[in-house]
Amino acid sequence: MKVKRIVWISIAALMVLSMVLSACQPAAETVVATEAESPAEAPAEEPVEEPAAEPTQPPAEKKVATLIWLEEFDTLNSLYTNMWFVTVLYPVYACQAWWFDENNEPVPSLVAEIPSLDNGGISEDGKTITLMLRDDIVWSDGTPITSADFKFTYDMTMADANTVSSRSPMDLVVSLETPDERTVVITFAEPYAPWLARLFAGQGGQTLIPEHVLKPVFDAEGTIDTAEWNKAPTVGCGPFVFEEWESGGFARFVANDNYWLGRPKIDELFFRFVPDSASQVAALVTGDGDVGTFFDYSEVPELEAAGVKIINSFSGYNEGIYFNQHPEKGNPALKDVRVRQAIALAFNREKLVQDLLLGLTGVAATDWDNSPWVEPSITPWPYDPEKAKSLLKEAGWEDTNGDGTVDKDGVELELKYGTTNREVRQDTQAVMQQDLAQVGIKLDLQSYEFDLFFSSYADNGPSANFSLDLIQYSDSPDFPDPNAVVWLCSEIPSDENPVGVSPTGLCDEELDSLFQKQATQVDFAERQQTFYQITKRIFEQVFWLGVWQDPDLFGFSDRVQNVKMSGATPFFNIAEWELTK
Amino acid sequence: MSSLADSPSNVIQPHLDELETPPLSLGQLAWRRFRRHKMAIFGTVMIILIFLYCFGGMLVFSEADANFNDTSDRLQPPSREHPFGTDTIGRDIMIRTIYGGQISLIIGLTAMLVELIIGVSIGALTGYLGGWVDSVLMRMTEAVLVIPQIFLLLVMAKYFAQSIPNIEFLGRTFSGSVLVIIVVIGITSWPYLARIVRSQFLSIKENDFILAARATGTSTREIIFRHILPNSIAPIIVSATLSVAAAITLEAYISFLGLGVRPPTATWGNMLEGAYKYVQSAWWLWFFPGALIALTVLSINFLGDGLRDALDPHSRAA
Amino acid sequence: MTRYIVRRLLQAIPLLFIISVVLFILMQNMGDPVATMGGRKVTRKEDRIRLERQLGLDKPILLQYVFWLVGNDWTKTDMDGDGVAETPGVRKGVLRGDWGISLVNRQPVTEVIGERLPNTLLLMITAEIVVISSALLIGIYSALHQYSVMDNTITTITFIMYSMPVFFFALLAMYIFAVNFKKWGLPYLPTVGMFEPEAGQSFGQVMWHMVLPVATLSFGFIAGYSRYIRSTMLEAMGQDYIRTARSKGLPRRQIVYLHALKNAALPIVTLVALDLPFLLGGAIVTERIFGWPGMGRLFLDHVSRSDTTVVMGILMMIAVAVILFQILADVTYAWLDPRIRYK
Repeated sequence: MKVKRIVWISIAALMVLSMVLSACQPAAETVVATEAESPAEAPAEEPVEEPAAEPTQPPAEKKVATLIWLEEFDTLNSLYTNMWFVTVLYPVYACQAWWFDENNEPVPSLVAEIPSLDNGGISEDGKTITLMLRDDIVWSDGTPITSADFKFTYDMTMADANTVSSRSPMDLVVSLETPDERTVVITFAEPYAPWLARLFAGQGGQTLIPEHVLKPVFDAEGTIDTAEWNKAPTVGCGPFVFEEWESGGFARFVANDNYWLGRPKIDELFFRFVPDSASQVAALVTGDGDVGTFFDYSEVPELEAAGVKIINSFSGYNEGIYFNQHPEKGNPALKDVRVRQAIALAFNREKLVQDLLLGLTGVAATDWDNSPWVEPSITPWPYDPEKAKSLLKEAGWEDTNGDGTVDKDGVELELKYGTTNREVRQDTQAVMQQDLAQVGIKLDLQSYEFDLFFSSYADNGPSANFSLDLIQYSDSPDFPDPNAVVWLCSEIPSDENPVGVSPTGLCDEELDSLFQKQATQVDFAERQQTFYQITKRIFEQVFWLGVWQDPDLFGFSDRVQNVKMSGATPFFNIAEWELTK
Repeated sequence: MSSLADSPSNVIQPHLDELETPPLSLGQLAWRRFRRHKMAIFGTVMIILIFLYCFGGMLVFSEADANFNDTSDRLQPPSREHPFGTDTIGRDIMIRTIYGGQISLIIGLTAMLVELIIGVSIGALTGYLGGWVDSVLMRMTEAVLVIPQIFLLLVMAKYFAQSIPNIEFLGRTFSGSVLVIIVVIGITSWPYLARIVRSQFLSIKENDFILAARATGTSTREIIFRHILPNSIAPIIVSATLSVAAAITLEAYISFLGLGVRPPTATWGNMLEGAYKYVQSAWWLWFFPGALIALTVLSINFLGDGLRDALDPHSRAA
Repeated sequence: MTRYIVRRLLQAIPLLFIISVVLFILMQNMGDPVATMGGRKVTRKEDRIRLERQLGLDKPILLQYVFWLVGNDWTKTDMDGDGVAETPGVRKGVLRGDWGISLVNRQPVTEVIGERLPNTLLLMITAEIVVISSALLIGIYSALHQYSVMDNTITTITFIMYSMPVFFFALLAMYIFAVNFKKWGLPYLPTVGMFEPEAGQSFGQVMWHMVLPVATLSFGFIAGYSRYIRSTMLEAMGQDYIRTARSKGLPRRQIVYLHALKNAALPIVTLVALDLPFLLGGAIVTERIFGWPGMGRLFLDHVSRSDTTVVMGILMMIAVAVILFQILADVTYAWLDPRIRYK
């Protein structure tokens, strides 16, 4: 009798389980189900019951490039993301006014030519940019792309009902007019020097969103936050069109037959999401993947040995240390430029880069390295611990009590040094701690999770509340534009201004006025001179100490040909890539 | 006739005296049972050795040795000079396991103490007093039990992860996040102990001697601490021992997921963090700390098993 | 019995309520979801202010909790930043089934969780089946051959397995079965994801990819349960009624399986139900190591981006599941064992 009971229980349990499993399926399917007009099919989410429902073996002739991706997309709508692993793909599935080529020169995409003073694209006062669109641009479903799409993108970015990630640079725009279908006229309040890098361009700018698809959604729901198109942009304007995205697994893009510059040579792009770099490297080494990115430097030798071609693409990022210069909260020791210079001289960054980064990149001197904006005489501070010690002595710091740390007026020179918890950064911290201990400076190491580290002043984030003396992370200006806002006095976070982004708390009259000036200088030569002064001042005063230059690393198997990489818009020539074998 | 006249007791008595063993105390009985448990002895010996390795190692290698790095020496496989190899910036792994072991063991023991204090207090109160105290506290206990411990740990570890100063203790300097981890593990683990203590109290308090104590006017505190607690000490000891192992394992888990003790302070757990990138290329990075954790936990489990047999033979059937 | 169930369910409600309040407050102080919205760069000042307003993060904690629980469509919010609340809210609140949208990608929380839940369930249910069947086999064998060489070996091995941290086991397993098998040319086990994308999501692929994760999830439990079964079997075998059955001449098989096992295995039912939290916890580490697209990884990703709504959704779902399973376990045990009766 007991046996019967057990049998009944097991059957009941199984029934419950299968009900639970089947109940979960409809929820999963709605995710990938797309809007009515999309031709994409919804792949089966049932993992166990059915064998593969869709054709899985690509036909022999189909050319598929497999890209191994370390972070899964959070969304595919440029308005809602700043995630690097999505923004680098803009040239793949989206369209912008122009791309940047391997020399970071602009290449027209949606426009007929790059606006300039000569062709009337830029007005005399520098405040109005006019975009002249090409005649042959169409969405992947055949609908023509017109200036109305530009206006719609602008409207959606600025709409209060949409929680977009960033409104820049649209929030500086006074008006956006569309006198006819081929012309877009954008007027800024002030001359906006970085327009080339940001206005419907670059990883920080918007890509075009289709009015004919999303306007109905906006009218019906009042917002496009939850539009299906954000996760499944089946109507696109890039060389490849979205096909499917399996959460946590993979995503697929197929060639766009309606692409106005010609159908790409590759038929399909397959993105495979892996949890960490080790699996990425494994996939590339065995040939399971064709493209990979964001490696650790330590993985490069293994990749190169397996025949993977590594391309170093500079995108403006440099890893460096900001020195806390806040008038009240900063450590007074750091206000003395000699102490800062001593730190620069005591830290052997050359050796660090050679050993930890395998010499695959260089020591950074300024945050504008590898660009025409750096004053030519600037080279990184050398390694000279003796000079560091004498500078400290000159500044009044000596070890009077024999504990290994220099002191002055009874105060030991102990500095708090914080960064995120990436392995290479924690290793750098330990090395710097040892280097600086040689000249008598004691470092107290702290590390944080990424989102804690960058919490705002209002949330008492460690990088914003000036409790740390040295902050290290990788920063870049508005590449390929040199504009940066972190040095402005107005960006210092305080109780009145809790979301300022200045990491140093520095209010330097000279730097502040120079930065404000450069933002309005539309003439290249003038702007370059201003930046020469800027870079020289930051370098000599050691407000920022460069540790290493931080290019993007891309790896390609030998199957992939004709690849050119841009720092600003990496995959810009993906339509011309070829696959051998 | 004289033999018959001798009372039998005169003849037999000495033999009986020899036959009778002196009465054994509870502790001695327990020790006897413990001795028979071979694995428990093995576990105890291992634990002593591990403690010697970690704390005795301080006498051989200084803390500076543990932190000394030279990037040109990075990722060396085990050799004569570095018996366990070197890590990503050239620090000797063996010395780091010594100093890291100190922190891991300290975390295990201290977290156990935190758990013990909170768990016993709450278990005693709910078990003895009953009534609404029982209801409220049991709801609290259930609330903590309902969320799986790892989820709670992750959330709490992040909650406390602000700027933490360093601590100087026993001649060593290490990150204050050690205290944070101890507190976090302690306050998510006490429900297990509280439940055991509560059930013990519930069953013991019905005994006659407790009734007698109450009748003679003994205060509640005295009843709890001098009467009930000593009688329920056996499962508490066993549970506390096993929770040291659990705490060490938990510390390893949170460190592995990146929220544990902050570097450069080493623990066995955070030496494993990120080491799985080097599964193939530098196996010595994860093997030694991981093996040490496994060995320590194993030994503690053996010890706990032996203690359970020794102190409370009713709890196990075979 | 029905009264008991109803009483337990009613008791669960204030419990869930308290849990949700405490967790919500914890989540708020955990980090800044807006901090990561700048991608690789720090979020711009203007965007920070606007996003905090649009996502309702600038309100006091208790008010945010109230909105989370009952929605804000009965009040107006200030969407355009002029300080005047003019737009009616759109959220209905958890009590009406609206779990909000993820702060990370603005997708509805139910969708975000629903995408990943089946994968974790698959892993857990398979692991549970493997655990129960293996534990029964090993435990019974051990009990029947008590103190034999096999038994001692099994005991030692189970102890070792029980003591090993999950990720150490996973690393070892990866090292041996994936990396080294491959080096030696043997068919090797895959270590990432649910299936090879080129081959598609077929039954065989998923099964093959599940081997290592399921093994990792279950080995600790197998070790624990097999010892438990062993000890309860031994206890059962020592009982008088077994002796009676043996003296009556019943075949050994019948004795073991029909009589002893049933009594020994009953507690397993409750243990299985009560171990749900531990399985879920183990899933986090396992999914992280093997890249299994499940809820554990979802939790990790969204905790690290301080995504309150999704994390609360996951935690509350787990809490409800655990409470339900606890009640189920108690009821089942009472049903199976007539000696137990609840008031």
